[in-house]
Amino acid sequence: MSVKWFGKRMVMGTIVLLVISFLSFFIMHLAPGDPATAFYGGNAQTLNTAEKERISRAFSLDRPVIEQYGLWLKEILQGNLGYSSKEGRPVTVILLERLPNTLLLFGVTLFFIIIGSLWLGTVAGMQKGSLWDKGLSTISIATSSIPSFWLGILFISFFSVKLGILPSSGTGEVGGDGGILDKLRHLIMPAAVIILTHTGIYARFLQESIKAETSKYYVMVAKANGVLEREIRKGVLRNASIPYLNYIGMTIPSFFGGSIIVESLFSWAGLGQLLVKAVMMKDFPLIMGGILFTGLLVVFSLFIIDLVMYAVDPKLRKGAYSR
Amino acid sequence: MKSRKVLLFWCVVLGLIVIMTAFAGLFSTHAPNDMDMDKIYVPPGENHLLGTDHLGRDVFSRLLEGGKVTLTVAGVSVFLSLVIGVLYGGISGYVGGYVDVVMMRFLEALITIPSLILILAFQAFMQGGMWSMALIIGITGWLVTARIVRSEFIRLKEAEFVKMAIMFGTPVWKIIFGHMLRNSVPAIFVVTLFNFAGAVFIEVSLSFLGIGVPPAIPSWGNMLYYAQNDILIGAWWIGLFPGIMIFITILSINFIGEALKDPGRRRLNA
Amino acid sequence: MLKVDQLSISINEKNIVEDSSFLVPRGKITSIIGESGSGKSMTVAALLGNLPLGTETTGKALFDGKDLMDSSTEEIMGIRKTDIFTIFQDAANSFNPSVKMERQLYAFSGGRNGDTVKQFRAKMSSILVELGLSVAIFHQYPFELSGGMLQRCMIACALYVKPNLLIADEPTSSLDRVVQKEFIDILKVLNEKQGTTTLLITHDLDIVAEAADEMIVMHAGKVVETGSVAELFARPTHPYTKRLLESRF
Repeated sequence: MSVKWFGKRMVMGTIVLLVISFLSFFIMHLAPGDPATAFYGGNAQTLNTAEKERISRAFSLDRPVIEQYGLWLKEILQGNLGYSSKEGRPVTVILLERLPNTLLLFGVTLFFIIIGSLWLGTVAGMQKGSLWDKGLSTISIATSSIPSFWLGILFISFFSVKLGILPSSGTGEVGGDGGILDKLRHLIMPAAVIILTHTGIYARFLQESIKAETSKYYVMVAKANGVLEREIRKGVLRNASIPYLNYIGMTIPSFFGGSIIVESLFSWAGLGQLLVKAVMMKDFPLIMGGILFTGLLVVFSLFIIDLVMYAVDPKLRKGAYSR
Repeated sequence: MKSRKVLLFWCVVLGLIVIMTAFAGLFSTHAPNDMDMDKIYVPPGENHLLGTDHLGRDVFSRLLEGGKVTLTVAGVSVFLSLVIGVLYGGISGYVGGYVDVVMMRFLEALITIPSLILILAFQAFMQGGMWSMALIIGITGWLVTARIVRSEFIRLKEAEFVKMAIMFGTPVWKIIFGHMLRNSVPAIFVVTLFNFAGAVFIEVSLSFLGIGVPPAIPSWGNMLYYAQNDILIGAWWIGLFPGIMIFITILSINFIGEALKDPGRRRLNA
Repeated sequence: MLKVDQLSISINEKNIVEDSSFLVPRGKITSIIGESGSGKSMTVAALLGNLPLGTETTGKALFDGKDLMDSSTEEIMGIRKTDIFTIFQDAANSFNPSVKMERQLYAFSGGRNGDTVKQFRAKMSSILVELGLSVAIFHQYPFELSGGMLQRCMIACALYVKPNLLIADEPTSSLDRVVQKEFIDILKVLNEKQGTTTLLITHDLDIVAEAADEMIVMHAGKVVETGSVAELFARPTHPYTKRLLESRF
């Protein structure tokens, strides 16, 4: 067990969250008006006087900034992210409402991207020099150069305006029963747009790492000694998946960024769309909360990828990367 | 040989786009902000090559003018992030030791934060003209450059000719600029190229969300922002062409970057 | 056992090996000696059908009467699987780093013969013990073992499959002196006990003197001299062989 490695990852995750929280805090400070007002929002009538006073005291400007940050962090850790200045409701509540939609979109797209890129990348990588191999190298660059929201616009103009078979926006029919089928129908286009523009580049990465792996010494040795092709492929795929997983981890942040835009285009009621709206309306408590939440999501998904890598890579488990 | 031609082809494509947009005034058929309420939503045709938008403005002319804005924002921001990245990475790589560890840990933390989120946060209270946009993209886009510069510096610090230079008592600034920075240029160039594509992407995304370049200034992203409504009434040309321009710009940068990156990679494997 | 006749290998019209002919007699240890770049490893690669893309070969290599140069991929694969076992130079990189040894050893031995995992476990355990390895390595990964241990694992597979021809391509050059000696001893025992025909490729004359019965001297892509080790050591005829022998002392 390499406890050390896990410890390092945990520390890293904590640092990331601290940096993000610091950023949020400063946004609040730079926001117009005094920080206390920014925290509970201008028209937060739901607050009782005692609580208002408590927060005001905590953020009183005569204290040093660091102390204010500490007190603010304490509030955050207790799950109190303040109140939206436009809606007057607690930010935590609003964010939690949006979370399932974002997770649905994120989960579905990532699932299909991984399945698709695993398949394409393996086929192309295992047949070096074939049409698949060359084709994927080019197509993946092409598809990753398409702005996903523009593809979304084209999709809307074709599938919604021209053919009228798919809804152009929203998370469900207005006045609908909110059933899962309705939601999935609304999910098709945003998900398809993200999947189409992302699968290629992940597949290409896997393809390259399979090609690099296939030219390794142990593959030659195994081939020369008549080891079953299937057995060799399994081993190659396993090793090639380690840098591939790493790559997914590295690109998760920008992947999140991309889905913010797609959410906005399709009015998919997720965190991304909420954040953009909050920025437009200068709803600072909501912006802060949204940023913190997204950071938390990224750190959490990176942690999951770390766990998968830990399972796949025995060198990690045995602490063989000693450096 | 074949890849050489491919590289040349994409360089020409990118060059054409840059020239056409930089000298937009020479090529455009109408003034980009001229409104003509009698001719709104005219489909592509003789007088208006790519049609007109909801205010009767010529899409082709706006496309060129918008390209100028988009590419300028991207260019300025990339320059900014290049400077920051070289400084940060250079210091981290050159000084090394504990400073390097701390600086890199901090960098790793920053890389984990989706840059679009950072930009959104800045945009919330800095929303203004295109220069503040370039500034924001610049100060959030230097991370990868810094990482590359650092690893180049660490590699070069061990190189024979740098050790020799140090032995001969060459001044530090001369070693840094004359030897290390100069020899990092190919790697920095490739990453800057990809950064440029990224910056175009971010400008376009933000303007598309309606929180980027002010609506009065045409940019590819702004045009797409309005196109969201236009497509619903069937005016497909307003959204199609800016997207194609963005696509081709990013595509050519990506292909050029790949072509330049490849020989280096092959040399490493040999 | 193996008769190579007028074998030539070229890459991009550049000759790597020219008109090489030699015999590998059954039941003996035959050694190809030559410095790096002499074409000895390419010769082995050609025999195994393992040449890089863009190489061309002419000539024959008769293995039990069947021409390896003129066989289909399936036939070569069949021969690799049933008749020949090859031990390569770089033992540390000969195994997949992220697969447990048991699975890999099985793929190299029992999997070739069609033995069940159970049969394999029983048979391999005794071989490992014989070679001074612990059965615990079954559950270890290659990077947890030393180069010498991994090379012994390769030998263990060779012992298991009892190939008609064992090819060892510079098997000891990545090992230290003591382990080298052990390895050569095992090769000799294998040859004496099981009569395994062995083709030993090396650049080290000491190893030839220690282990081989017959030797083939290669220089600059050509076979310059062949004969029994005793004979060639006593009366070398080709100037290169002479130089080689002189430099030994």
